[in-house]
Amino acid sequence: MKKRNIRFYLRIYRKILAQDLKSKMSYRADFIISTVGMIFTNISGFIGFWILFRNFPSINGWSYYEMLFLYGFSLVSLTPVQCLFDNNWSLRQNVYTGDFIKYCFRPINLFFYYQSEVFDIKGLGQLAFGIGTLAYAWGKIGLAFTPLMLLKMIVFLLTASLIMIAMQNAAAAACFWIQNSFYILDLAVRFKDYAKYPITIFGPVFRFIFISSFRWRLSRTIRAL
Amino acid sequence: MSAIIEIKSITKEFKVLNRREGLAGSLKDLFSRNYKIVRAVDNISMSIEQGEIVGYLGPNGAGKSTTIKMMTGVLEPTSGEILVAGRIPYQNRTENAQEIGVVFGQRSQLWWALPLIESFRILKDIYQITDADYEGMMKLYRSLVDIEPLLHKPVRQMSLGQRTLSDILAAFLHNPKIVFLDEPTIGLDVSMKAKIRTLIHALNKEKNTTVILTTHDMGDVDALCRRIVIIDKGKMLYDNDIEHLKGFFGSYRTLKIRIDGNLKEQAADIQKELPDCTVSADEEWISVLVDEEKAKVIDVLGALQKTHRIRDMQLEEISTEAVIKKIYEEGVQ
Repeated sequence: MKKRNIRFYLRIYRKILAQDLKSKMSYRADFIISTVGMIFTNISGFIGFWILFRNFPSINGWSYYEMLFLYGFSLVSLTPVQCLFDNNWSLRQNVYTGDFIKYCFRPINLFFYYQSEVFDIKGLGQLAFGIGTLAYAWGKIGLAFTPLMLLKMIVFLLTASLIMIAMQNAAAAACFWIQNSFYILDLAVRFKDYAKYPITIFGPVFRFIFISSFRWRLSRTIRAL
Repeated sequence: MSAIIEIKSITKEFKVLNRREGLAGSLKDLFSRNYKIVRAVDNISMSIEQGEIVGYLGPNGAGKSTTIKMMTGVLEPTSGEILVAGRIPYQNRTENAQEIGVVFGQRSQLWWALPLIESFRILKDIYQITDADYEGMMKLYRSLVDIEPLLHKPVRQMSLGQRTLSDILAAFLHNPKIVFLDEPTIGLDVSMKAKIRTLIHALNKEKNTTVILTTHDMGDVDALCRRIVIIDKGKMLYDNDIEHLKGFFGSYRTLKIRIDGNLKEQAADIQKELPDCTVSADEEWISVLVDEEKAKVIDVLGALQKTHRIRDMQLEEISTEAVIKKIYEEGVQ
């Protein structure tokens, strides 16, 4: 018996992913409608943003392109949680009906096995949109494009993603204690919407809540790893 | 030969709040610390050899699932020892999972949208089955069931029978030492039940796999199990061969008679006449359960013939079902 290391898990994930995509595309109408829906969600989010800045040239000292930069940044950093951890939305139902037990009978990591079942392909559209926005705003702000800058950007994106993942997993795990944990998961999603804007535009109370809860979640994630 | 499953006086307790009635009671419960301990499994010991098929029986809520969950490593016993293939399951969940297969009759563990063959390929990777072993197993499957029409069908399109069959095949795929089957024939038609029993029997023979079968269908027990274990209210009631079970309750036989008139009323009269027997009635027959140590069937029949005009009669050996029913209702004593 070979040890189950990270390469083993990557291989399994790739296989399950390939099968999942194949089966998703077999529901053709669903695939097309949800792709169109995803495009509209992104466009409408952007339009709201754009209208806001048509009326105010800057908000609390932040210019249009700076805000756009953060907007793109948040879209990209949200992609991993959207694509890889989408099964969190069904966790509540699985626990409630008792179906969750079936995940306990395989000789692999339970968390991995559960999350591997679903890959949300719609997140990839968001990624493309986010990268486009980020690149566009980057140029407009006049930020230098150096290797160091790029490295910083990657590190920041990774850590931001980890925070988002931690937040959503913690919220989804609430279903082990709470009957209707949907609202907690929903709250977590709304919460991350605030990440699209710079923190200084919020009041001090909000700022305190954001910072302390991020700190708590990040430390939890690091400990869990 | 050493035992594959060794259980020594395991107990599983759950802490449950003593609930009050009504809305006011529920409000008080929010702050209550008045807990009671519920023993789902109470001091159970057993030892199961490699290759046995054990029928694990008990009424609903007897503690069967709790025991299975402890054997599969999902739950940790409150006290007692449990060893599965030499390991403590709850401390080695993944290693234990490699040695076991699990089928729940009502819940498929296969990937819903995938054709069976794709599920098999993913399982092959997850369980790290070698190509040779995988091919050998597929060859065995082909010889036992008509698997071809199933292989390329997505699980969501399968009938319940096909799905159960697929789940069983998937559970045996990595050649586990033990397979737990929880009501594998629930909701299936007669011919599918027979098919599934034959399959389980053949796989057990071929691979010497230990099978732990929980079921409420005595047809499964009669077809598959030589040994049965019965638990109720968490306590072990019986653990022995199925042949012993019948003797355990004395030599019972059922005398069925058909007479004119309202059978329900007549059955009540007959019960008064024959206090040593248990009398019941359905639409067609009056059944008299006779304990042959107390009365001879022929004497009972003679007595009945004097008081009633018997139009037809049948004599039945007691079924496993009837014995189990008696145990559930009255216990072993």
